[in-house]
Amino acid sequence: MSDTASIEIDGRTLEAPRGAMIIEVADRHGIHIPRFCYHRKLSIAANCRMCLVEVEKAPKPLPACATPVMDGMKVRTASALAAGAQKAVMEFLLINHPLDCPICDQGGECELQDVAMGYGRGVSRFSERKRVVADKNLGPLIATDMTRCIHCTRCVRFGEEIAGMPELGATGRGEHMEIGTFVEQAVDSEMSGNVIDVCPVGALTSKPFRFQARAWEMGSRDTVAPHDAVGSNVHVHVMGGRVKRVVPRENEAVNEVWISDRDRFSYEGLYDEERLLEPMIRRNGEWSACGWEEALAFASRGLRSLVSRHGADAFGTLVSPNASVEEAYLLQKMVRGLGVSDIDHRLRDADFSDQEQAPLCPSLGCSLAEVETRDAVLLVGAWPRKEVPILNHRLRKASLAGARVMVLNPADYEFNFRVDGRIVVSPDAMVDALASVLSGSAAPAELCPGVREVVDGASHSEDAAAIASTLADADHASLLLGPMVARHPEGALLRALARALASATGASLGQLTEGANAAGAWLAGALPHRGPGGRSLERPGRDARSMLRDARPGYLLFGIEPELDCGDPALALSAMRGADFVAVFTAYRSEAMSRYADVMLPIAPYAENSGTFVNLEGRWQSFEAAVRPPGEARPGWKVLRVMGNVLDLEGFDYLSAEEVRGEVESLVEQAAPIRAAWRSGERTPWPREALCRLGSVPLYAADAIVRRAPALQQTRDAAFAGVSLNSAAAARLGLEDGARATVRQGDACIRLPVFIDDRLPDGCACLPAGVPQAAALGPDIGPMHVTPA
Amino acid sequence: MSKTRGWLKSFLLVELFRGLMLTIRYMFSGKFTVRYPEEKAPQSPRFRGLHALRRYPNGEERCIACKLCEAVCPALAITIDSEPRKDGTRRTSRYDIDLFKCIFCGFCEEACPVDSIVETRIYEYHFEKRGEQIMTKDKLLAIGDRYEAQIASDRMQDALYR
Amino acid sequence: MPYDAPIASLDIRMPMSRVEAEGLLTPHTREEIDHWAAKYPAARRRSAVVAALRAAQHQNGGHLNEALMDAVAAYLNLPPIYVYEAASFYSMFELRPVGRHSVSVCTNISCMLCGAESIVEYIEKKLGIVTGESTADGRIYLKQEEECLAACCGAPMMMVDHVYHEHLTPERVDEILDALE
Repeated sequence: MSDTASIEIDGRTLEAPRGAMIIEVADRHGIHIPRFCYHRKLSIAANCRMCLVEVEKAPKPLPACATPVMDGMKVRTASALAAGAQKAVMEFLLINHPLDCPICDQGGECELQDVAMGYGRGVSRFSERKRVVADKNLGPLIATDMTRCIHCTRCVRFGEEIAGMPELGATGRGEHMEIGTFVEQAVDSEMSGNVIDVCPVGALTSKPFRFQARAWEMGSRDTVAPHDAVGSNVHVHVMGGRVKRVVPRENEAVNEVWISDRDRFSYEGLYDEERLLEPMIRRNGEWSACGWEEALAFASRGLRSLVSRHGADAFGTLVSPNASVEEAYLLQKMVRGLGVSDIDHRLRDADFSDQEQAPLCPSLGCSLAEVETRDAVLLVGAWPRKEVPILNHRLRKASLAGARVMVLNPADYEFNFRVDGRIVVSPDAMVDALASVLSGSAAPAELCPGVREVVDGASHSEDAAAIASTLADADHASLLLGPMVARHPEGALLRALARALASATGASLGQLTEGANAAGAWLAGALPHRGPGGRSLERPGRDARSMLRDARPGYLLFGIEPELDCGDPALALSAMRGADFVAVFTAYRSEAMSRYADVMLPIAPYAENSGTFVNLEGRWQSFEAAVRPPGEARPGWKVLRVMGNVLDLEGFDYLSAEEVRGEVESLVEQAAPIRAAWRSGERTPWPREALCRLGSVPLYAADAIVRRAPALQQTRDAAFAGVSLNSAAAARLGLEDGARATVRQGDACIRLPVFIDDRLPDGCACLPAGVPQAAALGPDIGPMHVTPA
Repeated sequence: MSKTRGWLKSFLLVELFRGLMLTIRYMFSGKFTVRYPEEKAPQSPRFRGLHALRRYPNGEERCIACKLCEAVCPALAITIDSEPRKDGTRRTSRYDIDLFKCIFCGFCEEACPVDSIVETRIYEYHFEKRGEQIMTKDKLLAIGDRYEAQIASDRMQDALYR
Repeated sequence: MPYDAPIASLDIRMPMSRVEAEGLLTPHTREEIDHWAAKYPAARRRSAVVAALRAAQHQNGGHLNEALMDAVAAYLNLPPIYVYEAASFYSMFELRPVGRHSVSVCTNISCMLCGAESIVEYIEKKLGIVTGESTADGRIYLKQEEECLAACCGAPMMMVDHVYHEHLTPERVDEILDALE
């Protein structure tokens, strides 16, 4: 028996894979069959009956979405029998569907509307009352009009199968059936916004977009989402020069057809009232708006005078990992053109001791699509669900297909798939935990000096040995290091251990970076120790942390808010305040920034900028601006180009972003291969009496745009509750749930409510980073004292 | 012979008198001219004059910001912004008609699912300043309020044929 | 695929912890649930929902409430929505307090032809309630006009607490209803 079946649809003979459904085959060959409940990414429900087709020798019409093809099958999609069945189903569906298309946000892009045009009757024969269903409150992101629901259950299946959080369901029976959560609660999945797209009618629509625009009056521009390293492809819908909404752009290799809520709803942050609309300079403590020419001259004079006084140590440059390749490249070119060597984008990293040995740029170790085919994955210090939701979806698919996903985490995070091995230890014990996994591995690992001692000193545990043997037994195993590893003060040691473990077990090693373009920033040379394309430098500069620790006379900030984006906000803030001159390229003007900056240059954030992001699998994705930046704001690369000329630097005569990209690409192509060696880092002594702070960055505190998106800030993921510890630690410290506590890190001291969270290991206290409440504190991961207030 | 007849015809001004006969006939027949502005021509209930936005009898504005009129307008004369009103209903926050662009085709009225935008019988208006030709939502609603009785009776008369 | 997915470690928002759930369900109910759950593969605990709800409803004197449904969800480690779906779908589950004895009269074709409608009318008048309501003393719950219960030969009929009563007359009805505690 061959793998394909030969069938005939509407007289066309087609070859189809055996087991495929008629509708799949028809779709592949461009034969239209109407449908509501069928969605190719979801399981088959066959409950709308709209796709009924005539199959020869079948006595009744059959649903095309649930009828597998058979050799010699003859299908007619538009015969009298099929069309009659489709029209009858349409009439039934419209019985209870309200005629409120004029006020429905789905109007103009509604599957029901479209199909009703083709298959509906002009006049309804139903004169009885239509049913009315009360609307549900599903939280700040999704608006509901449940009377419009046609019970296709796509949203229910999405929750179960894609989001992995069954939250919506069909309650009641017959005419009383309703889709909802039954008890009122918000839908919490980090991918929940996708139900808006899967809903074929206007029952589930976007709340922030409610009544804002019609489908037909918006222009659609393609761009790349800037909040995580996946680089989800999106369409930005634009009207009147404003971004009205963001919807996914299909790209099987990257984000399939989904996007995370963060990518979908962050656009609201573009129109925050803190947007900086014109260049501003501070003279004698007074801020005043001015033209670009004056501002650039002012900034250039400031930087020049720093350079003339302090030479190569004149100022530190901190660039956001969300800056495009072009921006990062031009910025480092400008800074190095001035003879200054301190530039870095690794704002939250804590251990840089192995940077010389690092590969050309961090990567996932395999492509995003390959994640699905892994047999075993070990996540170290990563919670992809709330860090890179689209990657988490791939991991979930791998897990459902039988992969064994294991975690070594500083907290017992929830996953929406089965986790086959779990080690939960306080951040200060992560090195030992990873070392015990390595020592549990049967295969001998080549260990570099420093790592050997750690491994020898590691305790043996069965969990760890089981994880090591699972990794070793798998044909395709992956070891993924999350942001918690990068931020860890013993990060280099963790990376060295991970590398040894990967080579011992034959697993690929990958890193989950923060920001949209960390890999691009590495390639473009926004690093203290390497130039563009990994070129070695005569005089390496300081890394992001040392730049702040040895306070510099001046700073140049690109697209960041140091008190929220740096790994040690207290240090960052004091460095900024102590500096003589701080020049900031920024899209937003914050209160704190007005205090330490001397000149603020408005640059265009995502959707208003053109450029390139390199995602975590190394894919270069270029995008064009979707709208013009408001006011005097200009794309960062243009500002840098002009500033390079104002500073009289060579080689800043680019005409387009593509030209800059071309230059970086050719530099990367010529890059000498770097043999990544991974050396061992230093052990950090942890004060025994202190708790270890776990400063994870919440999903909706990732960058300046997201932090200003009002709808996202109202979700449960954005809620800031205070400092959390497990019940044992709380009891030991005399703290109760809901009580107030004094939190100290170094000299910084704040008061916060305490809540008990037993997902945390003993000795560890979680206090999120990147939120204003923690902006006065020290390192993301480091000792912290919590005492009753 | 025919030459003589032709000569006589022109000499006796036959054609002139024939023409004058027509003039004299019309001098005594009924008159068609209307002495505008003292007198006005009769109007059909379908007359397409100045626009108005209507309200329901309970005072609620009809327009629901569906933007069909904006979409159908061949002259792109209509601009609408919409948003949820406090009570959650879909309403316009802006409804502008540029009368310099409008060609009074009546498509907006035909497209309206709630009989909100209508064209009234008003055709006498003028603008003194640039910008006054933009009929805003407030102006349109005010016209609707003022002429509602006539608008309603016109729609009623035409209802049979719609 | 989805229904086979093990739910054990999913992030399900449990309104109730297992400990709380065990506190709400009596030992007898838990035993009953365990008994039914044992009949299905571990990954298909969802199959035991109806039996578990029946036990919980019995424990609570004939109706379910949100806390009990949450307890069943937590006890079976299922997303609560699965339990809500089942509880709201089946007519044998009551989601609000009702009388002790459930009475439903069949009004389907055979019974209707034999005068079921007048029986319903008689009962409603006698009890002073309409279909769907319970008497004030909590004794009788006139559940619904039942569709065919396959006792057409004895039409008109009604079901009182799962027991069929056939050949109804007003006198028979008096006799049956008055005998209820």
